[in-house]
Amino acid sequence: MYPIILLSFLGIVVLFLGFAKSKAILLPATLLFLAVALVGNFVEWNQGTIIYFYNMLAVNNLTLAFNGIVLVSAFMIVAMTRGFQDDDEAQPAEYYAIMLFSLVGAFMMIGFENLIMLFLGLEILSVAMYVLTGSDKRNLRSNEAALKYFLMGAFATGILLFGIALLYGATGSFTLTGIQAYIGQGNPSYLLYGGLLLVLIGMLFKVSAAPFHFWTPDVYEGAPTIFTAFMATIVKTAGFAALFRLLSHSFTGIYDYWWITLAVITVLTLLVGNIIAVYQDSFKRMLAYSSISHAGYLLIALTAMTPQTENSILFYSMAYSVATICAFGVLIPLAREKAMTGKPRETYEAFNGLARNNPLLAFVLTVSMLSLAGIPLTAGFWGKFFVFGSAAERGIIWLLVVAILMSAVGIYYYFRVIMAAYMKEGDTAEIRVAPFYKIVLVTATIITLLFGIAPGLFTGLV
Amino acid sequence: MPVTLLVLIPLLPLIGFLINGIGFRHIPKGAVGLIGSLAALGSFAASVAVLLAFKEGGSQPMIVSLFDWIKVGELNIPFSFQVDQLSLLMLMIITGVGSLIHIYSIGYMKHDPGFGKFFSFLNLFLFFMLLLVLGSNYVIMFIGWEGVGLCSYLLIGFWNKNTDFNNAARKAFIMNRIGDLGFLLGIFTIIHAFGSVEYTEVFRQATGLPVGDHVVFAITMLLFVGAMGKSAQIPLYTWLPDAMAGPTPVSALIHAATMVTAGIYMVIRSNVLYTLAPETLEIVAVVGAVTAIFAASIGLLQNDIKKVLAYSTVSQLGYMFLGLGVMAYSASMFHVITHAFFKALLFLGAGSVIHAMSDEQDIRFMGGLRKKLPITFITFAVATWAIAGLPPFAGFFSKDEILAHAFEHNKLLWGIGVLGSALTSFYMFRLLFLTFFGSFRGTHEQEHHLHESPAAMTIPLVILALLSAVGGFIGVPEALGGTHQLAEFMSPLFDTARQVNPEAFAATALTHSEEWILMAVSVAVALIAAVIAYVMYISRSAVPAPESEARTGVENVVYHKYYIDELYDTVFVKPMKSLSGVLSSFGEFVIDLFVEGTGKLVKGLSNLGRQTQTGSIGYYVFAMVVGIVVILFWNLLLN
Amino acid sequence: MLTDFGIILLFIIAGFALLGVVLGVGRLLRPDNPNPEKNSTYESGEDPVGNANVQFNVRFYVVALIFVLFEVELVFLFPWAVVFGREDLIAQTEGRWGWFALAEMTVFVGILALGLAYAWAKGYLDWVKPKPHVSQFDSPVPSELYEQLNERYAGKAGKGMEEKSNQLP
Repeated sequence: MYPIILLSFLGIVVLFLGFAKSKAILLPATLLFLAVALVGNFVEWNQGTIIYFYNMLAVNNLTLAFNGIVLVSAFMIVAMTRGFQDDDEAQPAEYYAIMLFSLVGAFMMIGFENLIMLFLGLEILSVAMYVLTGSDKRNLRSNEAALKYFLMGAFATGILLFGIALLYGATGSFTLTGIQAYIGQGNPSYLLYGGLLLVLIGMLFKVSAAPFHFWTPDVYEGAPTIFTAFMATIVKTAGFAALFRLLSHSFTGIYDYWWITLAVITVLTLLVGNIIAVYQDSFKRMLAYSSISHAGYLLIALTAMTPQTENSILFYSMAYSVATICAFGVLIPLAREKAMTGKPRETYEAFNGLARNNPLLAFVLTVSMLSLAGIPLTAGFWGKFFVFGSAAERGIIWLLVVAILMSAVGIYYYFRVIMAAYMKEGDTAEIRVAPFYKIVLVTATIITLLFGIAPGLFTGLV
Repeated sequence: MPVTLLVLIPLLPLIGFLINGIGFRHIPKGAVGLIGSLAALGSFAASVAVLLAFKEGGSQPMIVSLFDWIKVGELNIPFSFQVDQLSLLMLMIITGVGSLIHIYSIGYMKHDPGFGKFFSFLNLFLFFMLLLVLGSNYVIMFIGWEGVGLCSYLLIGFWNKNTDFNNAARKAFIMNRIGDLGFLLGIFTIIHAFGSVEYTEVFRQATGLPVGDHVVFAITMLLFVGAMGKSAQIPLYTWLPDAMAGPTPVSALIHAATMVTAGIYMVIRSNVLYTLAPETLEIVAVVGAVTAIFAASIGLLQNDIKKVLAYSTVSQLGYMFLGLGVMAYSASMFHVITHAFFKALLFLGAGSVIHAMSDEQDIRFMGGLRKKLPITFITFAVATWAIAGLPPFAGFFSKDEILAHAFEHNKLLWGIGVLGSALTSFYMFRLLFLTFFGSFRGTHEQEHHLHESPAAMTIPLVILALLSAVGGFIGVPEALGGTHQLAEFMSPLFDTARQVNPEAFAATALTHSEEWILMAVSVAVALIAAVIAYVMYISRSAVPAPESEARTGVENVVYHKYYIDELYDTVFVKPMKSLSGVLSSFGEFVIDLFVEGTGKLVKGLSNLGRQTQTGSIGYYVFAMVVGIVVILFWNLLLN
Repeated sequence: MLTDFGIILLFIIAGFALLGVVLGVGRLLRPDNPNPEKNSTYESGEDPVGNANVQFNVRFYVVALIFVLFEVELVFLFPWAVVFGREDLIAQTEGRWGWFALAEMTVFVGILALGLAYAWAKGYLDWVKPKPHVSQFDSPVPSELYEQLNERYAGKAGKGMEEKSNQLP
């Protein structure tokens, strides 16, 4: 609860800091604010479930952990912005403020107790993302992406709202407990099923599950890379936290009804994400498809909905976020360097020979790709292991087979980058990276390896 | 048992890896080799100490829990090591042979610019391999399993300037991944069935199941798919000959002595499960026997010294699986041990020859090397004698034990085994004669350059030769008046399995005289094959025809390895493009079809899928609406 | 006694009555000089008839957004005002209720005011943006020469440009 209030207020402060003569203060200030919010977040740690605002928000260790993942991801991403110093058109104060506000939306999604809060949080997060996607005002692709995202997002929001309305119509309640109680009475009306499906569709759009994924590649590619990283990590984590909350708190009573639909969507998402990713030439676009495929893996845990699911989603989100941030974190300076020399910027070829002059960047990239591919001794492996484990526990073996096969396909496109960096000849000059940026990358890599070697450190937390 | 000592075993190579891996640009070469070898030797010393402590402590298996690793839901996976007869034997092989190969590498890789990188990878491999055999549950085994695969990938592609080598590395990695998928699915099925991955817990629960249980059958088959990938069995064997692209010590350590035997280790480890699934064992035996004879026949006409050894490895691994399939678990382990000695020796000897020949690997350009490379020659000859299964060297005892069990189980399998043994003897002696006898056929420059290898290389050769010679005496069969120490040592491992299926472990029904006859048959066959080879390559001093010369039908087919690689390429890959019904018609090759076809198939699908991404927002929304309508229709109206 | 629907009917009647009174009084008071511009439907100063696919001045959106914001604020103030002065609640809490409600509304209005201040300070409320920057470049070539040149090639150059722009999409 504290980070919501803190960041709402501090976001405004950042906005007004923008009036200061020097823009240099913005980045450290934002980082400081995020750190404050992180501390504020864990004040309520281990205090059981606390309900705020007349059943609007709930706080417990799980939501705090999700908040923590979101905050740490945001911290890393903000640290990579370098204050937007190299762009005259940029409005850093507004970008930072919007990012902080969007986090508020994410927290509301993570801890919602009332569907209205889910909707509000989702909109706060989404509107912020629409703006950030289009923030590169002079770039047509960025404009196009923002418009696409907005139009389709608005469409999905409408469906979500409709679903909420139907749920209300069926149950007479907006609260999770109210809906759960209604289902507990038995013999729910058709309105409830319709409402559930529509709400699910709205949420699945936000986490880019097939067949509602079409916006993802275009938007991810068009948006400025730093905000793509933001979208790929924070929106996804918050979206899955919200989906998990919705399904696990209210709808376990009719699990038999929805699991097969979700399973089919999961398979579709896995296929689309992994298979189309193979053909991509652009690293950034590949990451967009990879993010679709990871949505698929996360959906497996939701489909299984066992006691293990909670931990699997949490761990997977963490592993995925950290690895994705690393991948984008390497792409950003590399693309900037390539842009200066007029070479292909975001294709695989841009990575050729990266290891020769930039061993650190190449190493960070390798670890992040290994983690995304789910190779042991990286956090990503355990993420997959737990997710698959929950499916095994439920006994949905066919889903497991598809997922494991698709994870083998994933090796192909993730290793392509590693091969390019280490085994192909290229002439990437030494890329100068700010020390702070380096620290972020190295920290993220260490997190990936640490939780890859001792996942118990993380799973023991919650 | 001192826990610190046990932890040191995998920890030392890891430390070696970290030191060499981080600092290989700054540490002088001499220190790199010293650190790497000391790490391996230290690990060996620790293993010996643990073995002694184990024997002193009454040979009680024990599990040393290091820390609570993972706890998710009801699944609890501790990070713990299991010390018992099996893991100790594997430890001895890995660290012992590993140390020798480390020392050998100091000499062999001296002139390579990637010396430091090489040693750090080698240490990393040792670490993962030790993890694989020490772990007390399937998850740790899987971590090690993947880790050794990764190291193998790195080391095959060690000379990464060469695209072919890179492709070989990738082929190995992807084929292994296919196997790993089976393994992983097997682990998840175990979790599903038993709710645990700890060996002791799983086996304890398994004893309650009837023989021929379906779930156990599924688990054992999936695990066996994993083993097929790692231990290069039909149809997932083609990566191993290609893997010879790596430096020779790598071939000796990873692709002969240790990593490829991980599959056998896994089956022996899971012996309770396999004993419960006789159908799987049948399949294992058949796959093993077919691989043994198939790979041996390819080896007959290969001209690359390392390729011959590679096919020979595939074939010997086949024998081990044959042994497993007829439930001669300890005989298979025996063969793992002896094979580690003589095959490592053969590879290292080949390395010594290649070293002397200035990187020439084709035996048609060798010959008469015995005078120039006396130590290499003698040790190589010992190894050849051993692998051919001729007494009194190591290979004789282990191979004969497997064959005896096979005979008891199924005469046809025994026949195949004996035939394979003849082929083995033939191609090995052919290799020996062509390389070391006759007159030199290389260039003048090469001849001038011929020299015996430095001591760092010859000492490991000598030690391994001694082991290959006497190693068999740990398992002298009763029929020859000895005691089978190894079988006695390993016997407690199979107590649980014996409990669930006592008949399978009944004492041998063969009389001593029958056993003598069997031995005589296989020795005679091997001797005859050796004599034929002698006649062909020494008396008539025939030299295999060069590449360009036409070969007769059968010979040609064998020479080209039955065109399996081409077969995979043309028969499986090309039809994949049209996605025809080929899939169904190739039975057991489906997995392989996947291996080679994945690329094309996935790419084609990917291209198709990519075209759905038109960029037109109207289309996107339409697709979404269709999705919504389908979901609603299906759920609300059809349900 | 009126039913609830009766009250609604009263509201409707009152609504029509108010509308009639306002329009009638307006008619009596205002000067009457119609022209086509005045007679057209009001659409924020844009031509209300024609292709919908035209570009609006982007500043409309800023003004509209700020307008909506404060309108919503007003809507929000009403229910607050109703409970703010409830004596029973004030009595129950010994007066803290009023202060609490006031503080909450101050925060709300304050945030909106800050937003308005931000927009103001950024200059988004100024309708006319600062004038475009005219470059100060003294060409040694007299300007007449440029004009002559422009006239001579006007036709051709324009055509060429058109062709090019046709190819672009």
